[in-house]
Amino acid sequence: MAGVSWSGVRKEYGSVAALGGLDLEARDGELLVVVGPSGSGKTTLLRVTAGLEALTAGSVAIGGRDVTRMPPGRRNVAMVFQSYALFPHLTAEENIGVGLEAREVPKAERRRRVAEAARVVGCESLLQRRPRELSGGERQRVALARALVRDPDVYLLDEPLSNLDAQLRIQMRAELKELHRRVGATMVYVTHDQVEALTLGDRLIVLDGGELQQSGTPDELFRRPANRFVARFIGSPPMNMLPAAAADGALQVGTLRFPAAPARDRPLEVGVRPEHLGLVADGDGEAEVQLVEPAGSEAFVHVRLGGQTVVARVASEQRPQAGARVRLQIAPQHLLLFDRDTGERLEWKL
Amino acid sequence: MEALDRNDRRHLALMLGPYLFGLAALVALPGLVTFGLAFFEYDLIRSPRFIGLDNFRELVRDDIFRTALQNSLVFAAIAVPLRLVAALGLALLLHRRFRGAAAHRSAAVLPTVVPDIAYGLLWLWLFNPLYGPINRLLEWGGTAQETIWGYPSPQWLTHPNDARAAIIIMSLFTIGEGFVVLLVMRQAIPRELYELAEVEDADWLFVFWRITLPLMTPVLLLLLARDTILSFQTTFVPALIVTEGGPPPYSTTYVPNFVYTTGFEYLRYGYAAAATLTMFVLTAGIVFIQWRIVRRWRRAFVV
Repeated sequence: MAGVSWSGVRKEYGSVAALGGLDLEARDGELLVVVGPSGSGKTTLLRVTAGLEALTAGSVAIGGRDVTRMPPGRRNVAMVFQSYALFPHLTAEENIGVGLEAREVPKAERRRRVAEAARVVGCESLLQRRPRELSGGERQRVALARALVRDPDVYLLDEPLSNLDAQLRIQMRAELKELHRRVGATMVYVTHDQVEALTLGDRLIVLDGGELQQSGTPDELFRRPANRFVARFIGSPPMNMLPAAAADGALQVGTLRFPAAPARDRPLEVGVRPEHLGLVADGDGEAEVQLVEPAGSEAFVHVRLGGQTVVARVASEQRPQAGARVRLQIAPQHLLLFDRDTGERLEWKL
Repeated sequence: MEALDRNDRRHLALMLGPYLFGLAALVALPGLVTFGLAFFEYDLIRSPRFIGLDNFRELVRDDIFRTALQNSLVFAAIAVPLRLVAALGLALLLHRRFRGAAAHRSAAVLPTVVPDIAYGLLWLWLFNPLYGPINRLLEWGGTAQETIWGYPSPQWLTHPNDARAAIIIMSLFTIGEGFVVLLVMRQAIPRELYELAEVEDADWLFVFWRITLPLMTPVLLLLLARDTILSFQTTFVPALIVTEGGPPPYSTTYVPNFVYTTGFEYLRYGYAAAATLTMFVLTAGIVFIQWRIVRRWRRAFVV
């Protein structure tokens, strides 16, 4: 078991910096989720950790051991690829054992360890099959067993669930979390799916454009996002952003007025999550309901408000009709304040 | 497939027509004529005379044909595996992107597209025992007609075994087609498979035997069959131009050369047809046996 620490990790492709000099850490035994949109550098971070890409600057240490210049095979990491990277000509058993075979582990021990790993992920009945005879979920299990069988210091998982259908993805997500709890090893898990990130991670790292946006627990990221990017990226549907202005000791958001204002004088923006946006039917209301998306117990209501659209999440029985006029209600404690120019979140007290 | 209406069918016939005509006139018909001719005596002057299996009886007793057949078989047994290994080696060497990759790949294909006659004439110069660059290189540091290790330098054009080796060496550079196919095949193998092997600390030997070779086996088997068939024909021009079927006794006379001489110099068309038919049956037999041998082994390999 070992943690991973990245110091000043920088990776350039030509003149483009995929990673802009990151200082990060995955603690021993932690399930660290790296989340970001495509092109954010999250997969690159995983690949430099595995040693599949060389760093431009900085260093990577696993369990206190500097592995920056070590070839991938010597780092004692296991990688699960998005495509699973199963060998089509080998059976599941041979696929799981391929790393042991390459390291010349005796056949009897190999069989025993493969069987054990297969049992842990629940694919012991599939061992004699080839990848083309396996479903997506079964391939996923085989790929996981192949990582497990080696008992590596660190598991690197590159979007391992993105090739599964929605239902299976949710099931495997839960199984992965349970697996991590049982194995107790350090795992670095890359995903673009913020729901997956929130549900899985002990801790999250949000990347955008190769730069660290924020790191913290799922709750911290959700409740106290560092900036507009994190605020909009975490949570679904994304947080509504509305222009705001401070005037006469009050904060003015459209026609809403909050009796407190930040001290500093700069262009402002407030963010409010769809579930914190209240809608009150009011024939003279300033907003008009544009679209209603029912989703079982709740509904997403798109509301047109002074040239922009905001989304409210309301209980299904309270949903208005399209075309109705409504008034917005926001509880001040749910209001997040941002600097409109830099996107930084500003602390403020009512 | 949807039923074709009359218009579609007319188009289909129009498009296929020239090809089918060519196939019939240039391949099927001569093939049938050859098959029939093998049972006749025919010299272009007198009308053909049916002689049953006499041509084949004569072939069995014909020492020159037996030599030619043996030469062809030995050539195939040595040249085909070497050609495959060379094509595979080049493909694995040049599949990566690097500076000048395109130039290197073109160089690998180039000898294959040189016209046969020009290619033969070039080698006639290369193999020349007195001023040819190959022997000059071999004799470098040694004396005239002797290599640095004291062996007499090869007499490519006059010694029977050296001449056979010369024909094989010539064939090792015309592997462009196999090279291109294997190059594409290698590039089609997903990169993650190799990255996984890297993370799993597999050395290059393990990667080659356990990953690359099995994944390329289906295509290699196809090329093996194709090259075997082709090897009975590709010896014709080199043996004609470079060694002229010699040196005595018929060291580089291969079956196609035998057929050519019998047909076009001795005007024994029936006899030549019988030799051609024998070669055809033999080729088909070898390819059939190849497939039988590799079939079981292949099942475990093919994706």
